[in-house]
Amino acid sequence: MTDRAGAGRFVGRNRRTKEDRRFIAGLGRYVADIRVPDLKHVALLTSPHASARIVSIDARAALALDGVYAVLTGDELAEATNSLQHGVEAPNIIWRPLAQNVVRYAGEWVAAVVADNRYIAEDAIELIEVDYEVLPAVVDPEDAFASAELLVHPDHGDNILFHRKFVWGGVDDDFAAADHSLNFRVKWGRNSTVPIETFGVVSHWDPGQEMLDVWASVQMPKYADQIAEALRLPGNQIRVHYDVDVGGSYGVKRGLKHAVLTGYLARKLGCPVRLLEDRLENMSGGDAHGPDRIFDVDVAFDGDGTVRSMRMRALDDCGAYPGRAPLQLGKPVGSIVGPYKIGSVAYEAISVCTNKTGQVAVRGFGQAPTNVAIERMMDRVADYLKLDRLDLRRRNFIQSAEFPYTIPSGTEYDSGDYQTVEAKARALSDYDALIAERDTLRGSGSLAGIGVATCLEPGGGNAAFEPLFNPKNDTTTWMESCTVKVDRLGTVTALICTSSSGQGHQTLVATVVGEILEIDPADIRVVHSDSLSSLPGNSPVASRMAIMLGGAAQRAAEMLRERLMTIAAHNLERDEADLVYADGAIHARDDDAAKLDWKQLIRICHGQYHLMPPGMEPGLQASYTMQVPNGGTMPTADGRVQMYPCFSFETHITLVTVDPGTGKVAIPRYFIVHDCGTVISPAIVKGMLLGGIAHGIGAALYEKFEYDESGQHLSGTFMDYLLPSSMEIPDVQMDEHCTPSPLTPLGQKGAGEAGYMGSPAAVVSAVNDALAPHGLTAESLPIKLGTLSDMLRTLDGKD
Amino acid sequence: MKAAAFDFVQPSSLDEACEHLSRAADDPQIIAGGQSLMPMLAMRLVRPGLVIDINKIETLSGVVEQDGGVTIGACTRQTDAETSPVVSGRLPLLRKALRFVGHDQTRNRGTIGGSLAHADPSAEICLTAVTLGAKITLTSAQGQRDLAASDFILGPMTTAREENEILTAVSFPIWAADGRVGTGFQEVSSRQSDFAIVAAAAQVAIDDDGICRRAAVAVANATPAPIRLTAVEDGLVGQEPTAAVVDPLLPSLESVLEPEADLHASGTARIHIAKTLVKRAILEATEDAAADD
Repeated sequence: MTDRAGAGRFVGRNRRTKEDRRFIAGLGRYVADIRVPDLKHVALLTSPHASARIVSIDARAALALDGVYAVLTGDELAEATNSLQHGVEAPNIIWRPLAQNVVRYAGEWVAAVVADNRYIAEDAIELIEVDYEVLPAVVDPEDAFASAELLVHPDHGDNILFHRKFVWGGVDDDFAAADHSLNFRVKWGRNSTVPIETFGVVSHWDPGQEMLDVWASVQMPKYADQIAEALRLPGNQIRVHYDVDVGGSYGVKRGLKHAVLTGYLARKLGCPVRLLEDRLENMSGGDAHGPDRIFDVDVAFDGDGTVRSMRMRALDDCGAYPGRAPLQLGKPVGSIVGPYKIGSVAYEAISVCTNKTGQVAVRGFGQAPTNVAIERMMDRVADYLKLDRLDLRRRNFIQSAEFPYTIPSGTEYDSGDYQTVEAKARALSDYDALIAERDTLRGSGSLAGIGVATCLEPGGGNAAFEPLFNPKNDTTTWMESCTVKVDRLGTVTALICTSSSGQGHQTLVATVVGEILEIDPADIRVVHSDSLSSLPGNSPVASRMAIMLGGAAQRAAEMLRERLMTIAAHNLERDEADLVYADGAIHARDDDAAKLDWKQLIRICHGQYHLMPPGMEPGLQASYTMQVPNGGTMPTADGRVQMYPCFSFETHITLVTVDPGTGKVAIPRYFIVHDCGTVISPAIVKGMLLGGIAHGIGAALYEKFEYDESGQHLSGTFMDYLLPSSMEIPDVQMDEHCTPSPLTPLGQKGAGEAGYMGSPAAVVSAVNDALAPHGLTAESLPIKLGTLSDMLRTLDGKD
Repeated sequence: MKAAAFDFVQPSSLDEACEHLSRAADDPQIIAGGQSLMPMLAMRLVRPGLVIDINKIETLSGVVEQDGGVTIGACTRQTDAETSPVVSGRLPLLRKALRFVGHDQTRNRGTIGGSLAHADPSAEICLTAVTLGAKITLTSAQGQRDLAASDFILGPMTTAREENEILTAVSFPIWAADGRVGTGFQEVSSRQSDFAIVAAAAQVAIDDDGICRRAAVAVANATPAPIRLTAVEDGLVGQEPTAAVVDPLLPSLESVLEPEADLHASGTARIHIAKTLVKRAILEATEDAAADD
């Protein structure tokens, strides 16, 4: 086998991940494993109504129960805390862990009980009497957008959290000049990443240190800062421990209200307090739902298939409290045309409040839904012109020679070779044979369809959507840090400034540091620090850690190596240019005997100050804080902005069948070719891809948080919220390609959202191809069995 | 999701269990495999004062062939029934149905009697019992009685069991040889191993001329309790059960079925699916009978 492009001694090699052993052996340490003496347990009373006024709360009977220490309600907490923060400017939307005076969604927390154990806490919850005056609820997002009377937050003035129409280029002129145009609507259903581990937090107020210790299953930028601000404590009075394993997240493990609630309770009661969501609490009240969008797309194109211009309106239902949810309409601005040369774009982004559970960041931060809209557009153009769907995409690809390429919304794409990836996918799937297979299936009475998707994964994450969507926000960095140190015994330890939720950061950092220092990554320790001992970081969001943490770790390791070279030059009395670093030792290029080995070098650093170059600090450690490549600029007045720096690319091809008698979808074939530049850890990238494809199949066919007309949440358990199991996930055939990024030290790009960027679009494409011969379309995700069955009923007797 | 407090007993004999059950003031509830009861306890949807665990009563487990039928003890694990040679040999329809009951893991715990007593409208074991006209045995401190499955299962989670009774066994008849017997079991669920959106079962006896001499066809989850499709059965007997014969029988389902809509499928979708599955189950059974040599 030939070496993977960009492979080094350890980078790009098929090596075991550092984390697997302890997870597979059941030796992980999750928040529920944190043992603190005298731990008390929290249970939550949640609102049964989507919208209601709280007339009164009587907690006397609950408080009288043996083993109950406190019943906390919204009034007391509001006195002591500040509102949780939003990503958009909405100062009159007050968001606190416990509802005060009104409830705004079914599942919202109304009261918290602290008791000796969770059983007693739940007994006490049942004894709390709340008198509600039920109010009308805003459930439909279009109604929410239009209504001036029925408001989720009357003080905000309307239900609109963000509304802006961006126009980049001559959209009207391009539409007028084009041969054809068409429009359509596609809906992305309210789904999420639903982790195996629900959110959990342990908060402990240490009266001696006067400090709040927090262990949480969290994946969130600036978590400790936000807890401190809400609890009105100085930043250095909160210590969030990052050495807690997080059992799944992909964006949703935010848990700010959980930490503020337990932090307040821990301080008030003087004992450690744990809140571990049960599944119902997680699904209904955890504020962990993802984007819920209606896209209306107009596209202008020529007879040869050239797509000239696009108008997209995206209406996103954020639920009751905005949080960072509206920003998920902002991130896709940086790849609004996908991999295609589209000359002009109009993008109307609308984010509204409704009486539903809050929306949170989900894998891709709004990109996967947007990719579905873009890809449905390409499918529809191809179908309209009776062109092959892959051919049409190929015709519109940005050409590999055109990079760096700036799209109409102002973002520069770093690199790409979309034609080659698409050609590899065509070969991998034996595309012509696949078409023949589909047609054979059709001939025998099946509904069969081929789906394709050619999608981008922006990676490297910067904060550019924050100033774009909030004029009061001028954040232009999402830095990440790493410290690498070598101890007196010569072993290497790297400190990272975040918790991990399955991304394999220990493997990433050890691989990169090992590559630079030429030391086996298996011998390198990677430690998760805590918020007080760490340097600035922004957590593993935005498909950024290979680039940002990998980049910071590499630079810190290089600084150590440079330091060792200086020490060697001083002691061997040679120029650094005449020295060679090999396997941790340094020798003269022209004299192998003129050499300092690793032990000698470390001994100098840690003890022999007299052998160090004058002025050099003793010890051997380096820290580096990396700025996002290509970042640091503010948006222009017309909303052009450099969003993420690096662009991974994936081509999906799949064959599905739909049983006309039942509506059941099967996926007999699935192919993907993926390009994330230089692959650092092949096993991790493969895992991301497979998981991402499965996640996207869930979004396309199964997963939805359903609400009825009154705003009741109907999908609070796994009987009704359907995660695809291994039985629903096809055998995926994979290939890869490497177009290095010129912006990153190893040429790496992001891979944390891989697979998920394109699989929803590919599956929807395939189902629609299967339906097309019968004149049917399905444009509302997830496309459930029951929906297809109802459609196919009309074909009864024809099969 | 923690159960409210309850008392717990684990009797080792049926008499002892019946005695506990007769104390209605304790609001007793029987637990066997716990695959439905445990989540209901955790969600506090049921709040018994006393939980009677019948897992230690050895006489409640086992599969035996007797009196022209197969009797299965209520506490027999679904997995044990699935792998029982008696079930494979004499009750192939039940064997097929059991493959659709939950997952391997839940079948290792879940019991035959527990599923019948729970009477979920989508339950495959209930459907099979109704299809074959199984007999349900109920025991109390006062004695024992038998009910036909269709008289026992009254509706969703509703049975004719009195509060002081324990479901102790189910007996499935074995069809006397009036032709080659074939079985078909068809189910659609959103994901593999989910609760059935609709399930259909068919057992036919086909003579040497390919003519159907006897037919039992039933559907689950399109009515409050599994229902025999007598019009379809009547239409099959005396005919060669081909697609051409089955198709004209399917519209009769529309007047019999009364499916409810839920998040997974509408009522009309369920009727469409039921027609498909009934047809497939009959054709599967017919093919199975032909392959029986």
